[in-house]
Amino acid sequence: MTKNKIKALIILLLTAGPVLAVAGGKAAPGTIDGFTAVDMPYDAGASVLLKWPVGPSDSADASYVVYGSSLAEGGWRKGEEFVATAKTCKDINLPFWAWDSGEAQHALKVELNTLFGDIPPGTPLKFKAQLLRKGSVEAESPAVDAASKSNWFRLDRLNNLLFLLVMIVIFFWAVSHAKRKGLFIRRIAGLDAIDEAIGRATEMGKPIFYVPGIGTMSSISTIASAFILGEVSKKVAQYDSDIKIPHYDPIVMTVCKEIVKQSYLEAGRPDSYREDMNFFVSADQFSYAASVDGMISREKPAACFFMGYFMAESLLLAEVGAASGAIQIAGTDIESQLPFFFTACDYTLIGEELYAAGAYLSKEPMLVSALKVQDFGKLVVMASVSLGIVLVSLGTKLHWDFFVRVILNLFKAY
Amino acid sequence: MKETLQKFFKMDRRWIFLVLAVVLFVPIMRPLGLPNKTISRDARNAFDYVDALKPGAFLLLSLDYDPSTRPELHPQAVAVIRHAFKKNLRIGVVTYIAGSTGLIEQIFETVPKDYGKVYGTDYVIFPYMANAAAVMTQMSSDFYGIYDKERNGKPVRDMPVMQGIKNYRDMALVVNITGTSILDWWVAFVGDKYNVPVVGGCTAISQPGYGPYLQTKQLKGLIGGMKGAAEYESLVKEPGKGTSGIDALNLAHLLVLALILTSNIILLIIKHL
Amino acid sequence: MKFIKKQIPLAIVMVTGLLMVASYYIPHKYSVDYVELMNKWENIVSAFAFLLGLVSLFYSHYGKIKRKADGWGYSLFVYIGFLAMVVPAMMTDGRQMVDGQVTSLGWSFRYIYNALSSTMFAVLAFYIVSTAYRSFRIKSRQAFVLFVAAFVLILGKVPLGQMIWDSLLGWTGQGVADIIEWIMQVPAVAGKRGIMIGIAIGAIVTSLKIIFGIEKQYMGKD
Repeated sequence: MTKNKIKALIILLLTAGPVLAVAGGKAAPGTIDGFTAVDMPYDAGASVLLKWPVGPSDSADASYVVYGSSLAEGGWRKGEEFVATAKTCKDINLPFWAWDSGEAQHALKVELNTLFGDIPPGTPLKFKAQLLRKGSVEAESPAVDAASKSNWFRLDRLNNLLFLLVMIVIFFWAVSHAKRKGLFIRRIAGLDAIDEAIGRATEMGKPIFYVPGIGTMSSISTIASAFILGEVSKKVAQYDSDIKIPHYDPIVMTVCKEIVKQSYLEAGRPDSYREDMNFFVSADQFSYAASVDGMISREKPAACFFMGYFMAESLLLAEVGAASGAIQIAGTDIESQLPFFFTACDYTLIGEELYAAGAYLSKEPMLVSALKVQDFGKLVVMASVSLGIVLVSLGTKLHWDFFVRVILNLFKAY
Repeated sequence: MKETLQKFFKMDRRWIFLVLAVVLFVPIMRPLGLPNKTISRDARNAFDYVDALKPGAFLLLSLDYDPSTRPELHPQAVAVIRHAFKKNLRIGVVTYIAGSTGLIEQIFETVPKDYGKVYGTDYVIFPYMANAAAVMTQMSSDFYGIYDKERNGKPVRDMPVMQGIKNYRDMALVVNITGTSILDWWVAFVGDKYNVPVVGGCTAISQPGYGPYLQTKQLKGLIGGMKGAAEYESLVKEPGKGTSGIDALNLAHLLVLALILTSNIILLIIKHL
Repeated sequence: MKFIKKQIPLAIVMVTGLLMVASYYIPHKYSVDYVELMNKWENIVSAFAFLLGLVSLFYSHYGKIKRKADGWGYSLFVYIGFLAMVVPAMMTDGRQMVDGQVTSLGWSFRYIYNALSSTMFAVLAFYIVSTAYRSFRIKSRQAFVLFVAAFVLILGKVPLGQMIWDSLLGWTGQGVADIIEWIMQVPAVAGKRGIMIGIAIGAIVTSLKIIFGIEKQYMGKD
């Protein structure tokens, strides 16, 4: 009996010993299972994606900390720390066709530059995560290996790519089916007045000022303006009038020189073309405005064209032009400047009218047909906006969350 | 009677210029001390966003205005810089308008001294760069690929102010104060593309154009014109040029209203004569 | 010759343009490097183009002075202004402040450029006031809507106006700031969005026209 008691005591001591030891000191941390580290998809290789399942012990009083290392042993750097209930797959901003955004897994995108500084894609790295509660480590994941890589396709931008491809297909269809006659373009009064303005200049023997604004060649309104200049200068050449084109940007000036030269050739008046029709004034907004204003006041032109990209100088130019008694035709896609042109000019082209002007004036079938593509694009936008409003409102009302997400994702830019 | 009234419509506009000159000149010379009563939501949002940044956070300040828009934009820039220094933020200043360089010098000649801030440790000024859009894109991958030296040619990589800064991801906020379309570029090329918060400051005339960006939170806040500057100054509790310009702004606006009303009253009388 | 003057440039436009479009969908390092390279080239080309502009500027004003054209005296100021900024810039190595002292470039900037530039922008205020006087006349129903919106906005934009509103229309319980916010956030933004969408689509189509060589006027004749 005593022997048995001693045996039982020994067994108890042997089994309970470690338990008591642990209870007296620190408990060994548990393990975070299912911790993975992979390359973040659809990026240039600057980040790694960490994922692990949401556990039952994830509560607001606990937090996760992730660590990364670029060394084989040790060298752990502390990454992000966040509340244990946060950062699930749902928080990664990717669309439904490129990402499973359930809430069953934690997901964290680790920016490698932030954690390691300058680090090339493909560098072998290690990651681990710890669950902290009240300052002590409750659980820890094993260290897992990962390496980022440069990806080849932004799957999240698939919606954007499809829209572009549809636009390109329609663009080619419209251009290849260009008809010489039959495509209706609404009358644009400002453009019809160009002949009148040039005729007036010829009668009065005064020059025409064509001001392309302060945009560079990467601004679409400047490009559109250059195309209009081609048509205007062709007419100027035909009427044998004089045109002056002051420039803000030297590259725009070079392009415009070519355009005007070509127009004079096409009009059969290459001898009337002069190199100084296009001239550089200043690359400073108000120096440019002051200089052009000075020229307009002194030379009292018969007509002024303000076509292209304009900012605050719009009114400075247009008012001086109006005071000098010139016929003024303006056009810009900068809507904040449109009111100024409306009040001070005889005709104003609004936004897209400016883009359409080149085609309208040249009547080139291919260019006119390209306008169809613009109309198609607008139709798509109008339909999407109207349908989108109805479907998203309906989906929200009926709590069809996934349906709403699909619609919103489809029309979002990533 | 009708003819006399119609003369008002054909009045030489230089008379209007003269009246406006007087209306602007008087309060500038003898301030009336009219109050700046309300603070717009956008200016408050801009303030709140900067205010919520942690000390030591890096603020990239793009000051892209030249002397022409100085009266409106300079007070905005000063107010934001004062706020940032008060909050102990680190500031990196860039510019894409050559005319801004002198104005930037003028601000940093005096403002940092008020807060005991040191060049290279608390703030740094980068050189002017042409072609803003290209530079903005390039900064996204490697900031030092484009700005390896500050404006006087000293290397910046090892400056304390640049510690931990590699690209946009390491920056807490971009503030752009400009009278040009550079703010649109910050939103489109940087804010949207690299998820960097952008706060803007612009002239009063271009303020309405940023409505859509504010609604979609692509712009976290906007300081508009001299009134915006005065609002920001009152939020930072550092009255400056914006606040002192409010008198002139008040009277000029009322003059415009009076003119519009007068012309319409005359029009109405003529119609009924 | 046509091959060199037309086909090759068109091919360059198409290839670089398409690669630029593709870079939006390809996140790979090669694509990032390509965009960076193109941006650097753009910077370099702009710098050289500026030189071209300067030559054009001097050439055209030299012509005016030589011909003694009307207002040729103003052309002299182009050279004077240029020298007034460039010579100090060269002397000071482009610095406006050295050891807390304003350099000659800093002086030119502060006391010449600053004043001239501010004056030009200030002129805008005068034009706006006289334009407002002419353009807000109620001649139609649309003009009336415009008038009311403008009136409320101008009034509510300044503190004194807000005070006037409160004392005259405070009884309505509607603050002028709220009305302005509604105007700016609803009708103004709606209109602006419409224009922006139209512009974006126009930009896409114009880009396609250039990339695919449908629009090639900018290249001049063969």
